[in-house]
Amino acid sequence: MSELERRLADYLAHQQPGARNLSVTNLARIQGGSSQETYRFRATWEEEGRAVERNLILRRAPPAGLVVAERDIEFTVYRALAGHGVPVPGAYHFETEPCWLDRPFFIMDLMPGKPGHFYASADPYDGQSDAVARAFWRHLGTLAALDHRVLGLAKIRNGKADDDLWSRELDWWTAILEKGEDVPEPIVHAAIRWLRRHPPPGPVKPAIVHGDYRAGNFLFTPDGRISAILDWEMCHVGDPLEDVAWAIDPFWPMTRHLALEEGLREWEASSGLVVDRLALDWWRLFSAVKACAIWTTAEASFTHGEAREMVVAMSGIRAGHFHRNLILTLMTERGIAA
Amino acid sequence: MNLTLETLLHGVAATLRDRIRPEVPEGFAAEMSRLATLLVSVAANAVDDAAAVRVWENQEMRQLFADAVSLVDGDLSSRLAEAAASVDPGLRISELDGANGRLRTVLIALQAEIEVDRRAAAQDLNARIWGLLRTVEERRAPRM
Repeated sequence: MSELERRLADYLAHQQPGARNLSVTNLARIQGGSSQETYRFRATWEEEGRAVERNLILRRAPPAGLVVAERDIEFTVYRALAGHGVPVPGAYHFETEPCWLDRPFFIMDLMPGKPGHFYASADPYDGQSDAVARAFWRHLGTLAALDHRVLGLAKIRNGKADDDLWSRELDWWTAILEKGEDVPEPIVHAAIRWLRRHPPPGPVKPAIVHGDYRAGNFLFTPDGRISAILDWEMCHVGDPLEDVAWAIDPFWPMTRHLALEEGLREWEASSGLVVDRLALDWWRLFSAVKACAIWTTAEASFTHGEAREMVVAMSGIRAGHFHRNLILTLMTERGIAA
Repeated sequence: MNLTLETLLHGVAATLRDRIRPEVPEGFAAEMSRLATLLVSVAANAVDDAAAVRVWENQEMRQLFADAVSLVDGDLSSRLAEAAASVDPGLRISELDGANGRLRTVLIALQAEIEVDRRAAAQDLNARIWGLLRTVEERRAPRM
């Protein structure tokens, strides 16, 4: 048993006083988002005379990462969404005491299925692209239809706001961008100024926004179902079109598998909302700015030695360039950048 | 003949790709190894012209500022004149990046001012700024 397995077993035994002979094995780090350390493991114990075996996931906060995630947000959202039509893993034991595993963490179920890598050139969904893509849009529509206040999520970011959701999010990401910038990017700042001068049409229905809803952040099963939507660290309340625009960002294009118009029809049917194309266009540019803020944070984390993950460095270098180019394209479409 | 940093890094990337990665079992470490290979390749392709790219950018921004001094007033005009007359403190990448960051900050302030100025000269300057930004992005594109 490794040191981390032993400490994890100690924690689970502490949480479950009725468990006997609790053991943690097969602990292995896996790819699972870039802002949390993710490990899978098997826990076994005896309880009331019977043997129990569970395949679980440990999500632990890293020293630093792509974004400054609110530590309990993912756990809170998983608990709130359970049983409400959006597939999420069961989540247990959010812990902040550093005596257990040094940094905040929580435990959740290992869900069936696998992620489809968005950069794979061949079919990433094993022949089920159409079904997966439709489920992808349908679940996002279901999320948009939920009432965050009823689910007890009024305490998450913007949870008590009814208006100016666009400016709150733009302020949020502008602050993150400026905090991480050593060498400022004029392209990104020009886009921010344009977004402020041209607000999206309103009003909008405040909705639960995943914040990173895209290919790569869900698991699919061989029958074409989506078994779990993951990586909710950036969840907040906002305009539901924020997630729609993020989902169609060309860096992780779901439109490869289902035409945009068909995907939007699925979303409209399950959300009961209508996509305002002008607003969506505003959120597309916003998404590119938000992406640049995330990649800037990645660069800063690596530069200052807080993160040493290769994916963090690669995000800062390659993805930052991609999204600045995308901003140039979107600004050209607006007649701003010739 | 000297072994250049570029050649050295390409050699490291090739070793990672051809000799080390095949020995790493699939999983988290294998993915780290793949990304590390790509990053070393990016570094190899950026090292030779790193100083030249920054010197060129800084010169282009100073020229823009010199041409823009008469288009704006007050504090910004003074900032432009001062930035246009500045020089790179040295040829270390850290020194060039420091100057580059300061010049970009001035460029952002200049563009924020002239992009809402309807005069033809201001609009022409704004178009020049966008052209420069596009070229900078092309020249700094990571090469793998």
